[in-house]
Amino acid sequence: MSALLEVEGLDAAYGDSRALSGVTLSVGPGEIVALLGPNGAGKSTLLGCIAGLVRPRAGTIRWDGRDLRAVSAHRIVEHGLAVVPEGRRLFGSMTVEDNLELGAFSPRARAGRRASFERVYALFPVLRTRRRQIVRALSGGQQQMVAVGRALMASPRLLMLDEPSLGIAPQLVSAILDALVEINRAGVAIFLVEQNVRAALTLAHRAYILEGGRIVGAGGGAELLRDPHVRRAYLGPLAAHE
Amino acid sequence: MSARAGGLALLALFAALALLPLGVHRDDLLNFVLLVLLTITLAQSWNIVAGYAGQVNLGHAAFFGLGALTARTLWIGGAPIVLATFAGALVAATFAMLIGAAAFRLRGAYFAIGTLALGEILRTTVGNVLPEISTLPVASIAGYRLAHRYYLALALAALSVIAVALLARSRLGLGMQAIREDEDAAEASGVAALGLKLRALVLSTGLAGAAGGLFAYYQISYYPAHAFNPTWTFDALLVTFIGGVGTLHGPVLGAILYVFLKEYLTVRWVDFHLLIFGVLFIAIVLLFPGGLVQALIQAGNGARRRLGRRSGAPT
Amino acid sequence: MLLIEQQIVLGLLLGGLYGLAAAGLSLVFGVLKVLDVAHGELIMLGGYGAFWLFALLHWDPFASLLVVIPISLLLGVVLYAVLFGFVVRADEETRVKNSLLVGFGLALALHALAVRLWTADDRSITTSYGGTVIAVGELSIPVIRLLSLAVAFALIVGLHLLLTRWRWGKAIRATAEDWQAALLTGIDVRRAYLLAFAIGTALAGAAGTLVTVGYSVSPSIGLEWTLKALIVVVLAGLGSMLGTFVAGLFLGVAEALSAAVFGGPYREVVGLVIFVVVLMLRPRGLFGAR
Repeated sequence: MSALLEVEGLDAAYGDSRALSGVTLSVGPGEIVALLGPNGAGKSTLLGCIAGLVRPRAGTIRWDGRDLRAVSAHRIVEHGLAVVPEGRRLFGSMTVEDNLELGAFSPRARAGRRASFERVYALFPVLRTRRRQIVRALSGGQQQMVAVGRALMASPRLLMLDEPSLGIAPQLVSAILDALVEINRAGVAIFLVEQNVRAALTLAHRAYILEGGRIVGAGGGAELLRDPHVRRAYLGPLAAHE
Repeated sequence: MSARAGGLALLALFAALALLPLGVHRDDLLNFVLLVLLTITLAQSWNIVAGYAGQVNLGHAAFFGLGALTARTLWIGGAPIVLATFAGALVAATFAMLIGAAAFRLRGAYFAIGTLALGEILRTTVGNVLPEISTLPVASIAGYRLAHRYYLALALAALSVIAVALLARSRLGLGMQAIREDEDAAEASGVAALGLKLRALVLSTGLAGAAGGLFAYYQISYYPAHAFNPTWTFDALLVTFIGGVGTLHGPVLGAILYVFLKEYLTVRWVDFHLLIFGVLFIAIVLLFPGGLVQALIQAGNGARRRLGRRSGAPT
Repeated sequence: MLLIEQQIVLGLLLGGLYGLAAAGLSLVFGVLKVLDVAHGELIMLGGYGAFWLFALLHWDPFASLLVVIPISLLLGVVLYAVLFGFVVRADEETRVKNSLLVGFGLALALHALAVRLWTADDRSITTSYGGTVIAVGELSIPVIRLLSLAVAFALIVGLHLLLTRWRWGKAIRATAEDWQAALLTGIDVRRAYLLAFAIGTALAGAAGTLVTVGYSVSPSIGLEWTLKALIVVVLAGLGSMLGTFVAGLFLGVAEALSAAVFGGPYREVVGLVIFVVVLMLRPRGLFGAR
């Protein structure tokens, strides 16, 4: 199986400090891969590098075998990679519909946008009802739906999400995660950076652990859920003894 | 070129200029040099806030104008010119203290356009209140000695250069540099930004006011509002940037080039020097933030660290 | 001595042009985070364009808009490609500072060029229908200025529609709000910048034409109009073109009132004072959290 996304030996820096050192990981077609790690580990920087917003110092990023580093940031969506950034980063003064439509801005996505709209509204019916509303007026959970929907409008083969459950009411978190499962079932691979480790590992086929800019662990989702180090570090003091 | 060599060069220059009127009796040459010296003073004074405290003050002309107005009034009223000039500097600096705290609440470009607006308010008001031309009384014109004006100009230019030289090495100067590099970080580490900026502003505007006094002494007749014209600010801005903002020699080099081009090119095309300087200015901002000084240093293969400055125009 | 109502009407008519002048500046500032202080010079150039089309080819100034606007659009493309495209490479704070300086240099150069090419004299366009006035009660409304107001308003409405209905108009707004998110959704942010700057320049050219036909043009109107546009932009805040237009009307009326109450020479001061006061109320600038 050839991987969709292959990152190898990635080095990145913020000013003088090393944000990433020799990061190597991959995501295969149809997989759900999680990236775990403490705050400041470099998870967002990694996503930034893949999305073309941050320039890495060294290493390769391959998409479908081709060098993704050579692609400018706004073209990456066209290749089939869509990002749901941390904090959603929606266009707050514009409507739900406008935000979704902008998700289908690239030529390939634009061609199929009518179908994409239907897919997104089917996944998140509340967005159809509120499609003329200004996004700023929506709740955190609904905004997250718009953010995921916006990325889906690009008909991606890989959906990357940075902390989708951050700042969202718990009941809506499971709705989002269920949606991710459905999206994956339709064939879209998912790369998930998530602080809710238990939820992420339950969802994911595989996961990596990033600490201090380095990959310190990798394995199957269920396997890591049982790993004592993971349990101690990320699942709370009692979890290690379960 | 080491700092000492640079300092000696300036000293030699000023010494030569001091002796000039004794040997040369051509008024046009003395006028030219006087203009250069006035420009040096104006530019160095502007340099203090822009180059060392990192703020672009577009209302500089207001302080020049206030100094001119005060000095002119006092001097025509009978006060000795040195006293009148000093009073001009004082008035300018006082005004700076009054508006400074409020003005510095504005950051970056907003400070720039805010000070521009303030300057324009002053200019319009003065133009309305004092619309008539101000001419020296006949007796003064009869006793007009260019040499006196010349030496006042020389003294002010020397003063401004010394002020900047001392400033750069002083605690005030280093504190201002910290602000210029990163204001938030400086504040966090205890540098009281506002106090330093205010002191820089007072020094800057005081010198500008003194320059205004010189102008009042030099110019036989002019409209009072003319001294408030933003072109004085723009001249200072151009000269300082092109010469090298935040450096000691920058305003000096820039002033020489500027006045030379201005006087030389005026014959053929009135504002041609502005076209050249406008384009040069853009090139400097985008490509060569260190100005002439940087160009000369690089040309001379010097790798001199300029008091911890990173590249670029004030941020 | 005109009736105060007459002065207000004239102020309103002028205010519409202030609004149009500000709209271009607001668009560029809001999207590129670039403060183009040469905007007034672009207005001046548009004015001269209309003037020469009239003087040499006898084109009606309103008709010449059809030529001035596209040419200004092109000029905007050139200026972006050659100049402001480089300014946008820096981060936001540096960008605003650098654009101020670059705009200053550009304004200086353009002003000097205009003086060389066309002398410092005032020029105005006198059409056959130039002196016509519409009498409304005791007020007389100059037809030219009324037409100009209508055109300015139409352009603002057009701009509003462009930004809300056109795909790239939405892309421009998205870029203004969050350029990184815009990149992530596939928007070529550089292209959005270019478009916004070109449109802004086109609006400046149109404003210049209307200024020349209703009033006059000379190389020195640049600084004056840049200040007017800045005042209106600071007053209205960024984001709404219609709001900017209204703020322009407000400034026009405020000036007229201050001239009536304090006397003619103080007309200019009121705008500047409003400007400084509003700036003080928003010390963090116009991009503060909403």
